[in-house]
Amino acid sequence: MRRTGGQLAMLVAINLFLLAVGALISGSFLSVFNLQSMASQVPEIGLLAIGVMLAMCAGNGGIDLSGIALANLSGVMSAVIVTSLFSSTESATAFSLAFILVALLVGLAGGLINGLLIARLNITPILCTLGTQMAFMGLAVVLSGGKAVTVGSPALLSSIGNDMIAEVPISFLIFVLVAALVAAAVKFTPYGLWLMLMGTNPKAAIYAGFPRNGVLIATYALSGTLSGLAGVIIAARNINVKFDYGSSYLLIAILIAVMAGVKPEGGYGRVICVVLSAIALQLMSSLLNFGGLSNFVRDFAWGLLLLTFLAVGRYDITGFIAPVRRPAIPSPPVPQASK
Amino acid sequence: MTNFSKKLLAATTLAAVALAGSAGLLAAQEKPVIATVVKISGIPWFDRMNTGIVAYQKANPDVVASQSGPATADSAQQLQIVNDLVAKGVNALAVVPMDPAVLEGTFQRAMDRGIVVVTHEADNQMNTNADVEAFDNADYGAALNERLAECMGKEGKWTTFVGSLGSRTHMQWVGAGEENAKKYSGMQLVDPNNESFDDANGTYEKAKEILRKHPDIKGFQTSAGNDVLGVGRAIDEAGLSGKVCLVGTGLPNPSADLLESGAITAIGFWDPQKAGMAMNAVAKMLLEKKQLTDGMDLGVEGYNKVSVKKGAGKGVLILGNGMVLADKATYKQHMF
Repeated sequence: MRRTGGQLAMLVAINLFLLAVGALISGSFLSVFNLQSMASQVPEIGLLAIGVMLAMCAGNGGIDLSGIALANLSGVMSAVIVTSLFSSTESATAFSLAFILVALLVGLAGGLINGLLIARLNITPILCTLGTQMAFMGLAVVLSGGKAVTVGSPALLSSIGNDMIAEVPISFLIFVLVAALVAAAVKFTPYGLWLMLMGTNPKAAIYAGFPRNGVLIATYALSGTLSGLAGVIIAARNINVKFDYGSSYLLIAILIAVMAGVKPEGGYGRVICVVLSAIALQLMSSLLNFGGLSNFVRDFAWGLLLLTFLAVGRYDITGFIAPVRRPAIPSPPVPQASK
Repeated sequence: MTNFSKKLLAATTLAAVALAGSAGLLAAQEKPVIATVVKISGIPWFDRMNTGIVAYQKANPDVVASQSGPATADSAQQLQIVNDLVAKGVNALAVVPMDPAVLEGTFQRAMDRGIVVVTHEADNQMNTNADVEAFDNADYGAALNERLAECMGKEGKWTTFVGSLGSRTHMQWVGAGEENAKKYSGMQLVDPNNESFDDANGTYEKAKEILRKHPDIKGFQTSAGNDVLGVGRAIDEAGLSGKVCLVGTGLPNPSADLLESGAITAIGFWDPQKAGMAMNAVAKMLLEKKQLTDGMDLGVEGYNKVSVKKGAGKGVLILGNGMVLADKATYKQHMF
């Protein structure tokens, strides 16, 4: 696929450019510590963005708005359940493992609910996930009583949030590993093929005998599990979990997906582009914080970046790589309504 | 190919435009840097705090003091700013946490790196060197409620607004208010702890709902800086100015019209300008390895004789005496 190359090149160029600007304006921007700091900030939002990408690829207006709410619910529910079973200081490993397991299960369950509602009851994804988003958030409020729930820093969990392997934050390694797994699933399994083809033409997919419901449920379940994992990473980094954490992530995750060239109408998206796009947003936001600029400038810059990508996306991107003269006729004649 | 590079150039230039301004601000800095991070930037409360940071910078040229904050009220956004400042290598952080719990992990990492952490409006923060409070929160909540009770004639239905259920100081104020109202058997609390998210418009809608649901309501006690504006507007439009009492945290300048019309009975506040200066003063003292002692003078009005107690965690809790209650007659003395 040629067009993917264009988007990828563009994202790589932007990342390199941002790194270069960072190096130019502040010596400490490329310091190992800052690179680690930025790398450990990416996973939460990056995982959510991959979830949004999968939902978008499924087509038929697919989107997952419940991501961050489900991530918070996973963290809160897991913290409430697991702290009643284990002590985070005495049995640190058992606590950590149980916390991770329960959070992932809650994420999976939430995703399954989304998938079942969308596939079986044919609810429009945007409405369904808006509803479940509120339900998840409400449940997290009820479970936690509106307060932050303390997870603490038991050894294993704390090392996920704070430690490095070969100078790379563990949370970032987990993110890259999971992204690679999802990418492989999309590229090499029948599921991935079904997902993309179904997104391209849902009707044809049904007539071709694709397991439509199965693919939809699997997609949202996967997205939910990614949210659960994001919940684990949030808990590991912040020591506490709270129902309203990251309320701005909802739109940022969609922004990342669209910037990565994921087609909102379905059928196309690449995980590597989503990862690069998440990194680009992180670089830009850190850059502005380094520069001491107002955060309103950041919103402005993000918006500008998104519009640029959308504008560029309007053109045939293959034209960038090997310019091809397009036919002079701008569009096929619109069929007129006849009497 | 040229087409591609042109497009690429256009995209990168756009990004560069947004970044151009930052270059000038980043001259090499030898002096200790104290970075103030507020809950949300661009609202009157923290604009006022910024004037304090600017004034502090002028009075103390031997440090670099500046203020920043997220554009949206989200603890995750504030967390990112703090993370980036830690990575940038500031010497001290003066933070008004959106949510103290969310920042614990980052503060811990910052303190491990030898960065001084000072907080404000977060007396439950575990990982901080010092938390600076303008006053004892329970006293403040009780004082607001006492003023409300006085206006309501010590009877009738009343309700409370908080910024969010997770906002600890707000919950302490309304909690102390409820405690105070128990003294008066005629006061009946209905639908308490409405969340305003510090959004005047949302609060306005919510207050209208409450006025419809309880036509006989007599009082509102609000917490976040914009709540009095929203609730006040709802009272004003309902023609209930002077009939329904409204006492809450607010700033004199934005509240002036509603105070004049009688929609707001009284506003309580501490001067965020002074609080910002006090935070920076404490941060500087800690950078200079000075002792924080009970009864010391921070050199800021309202913080001339602070009490220093043991904090929630390893650090200390510093209480000033900066509470101000102002009504129609007195607000003009504090115009900001």
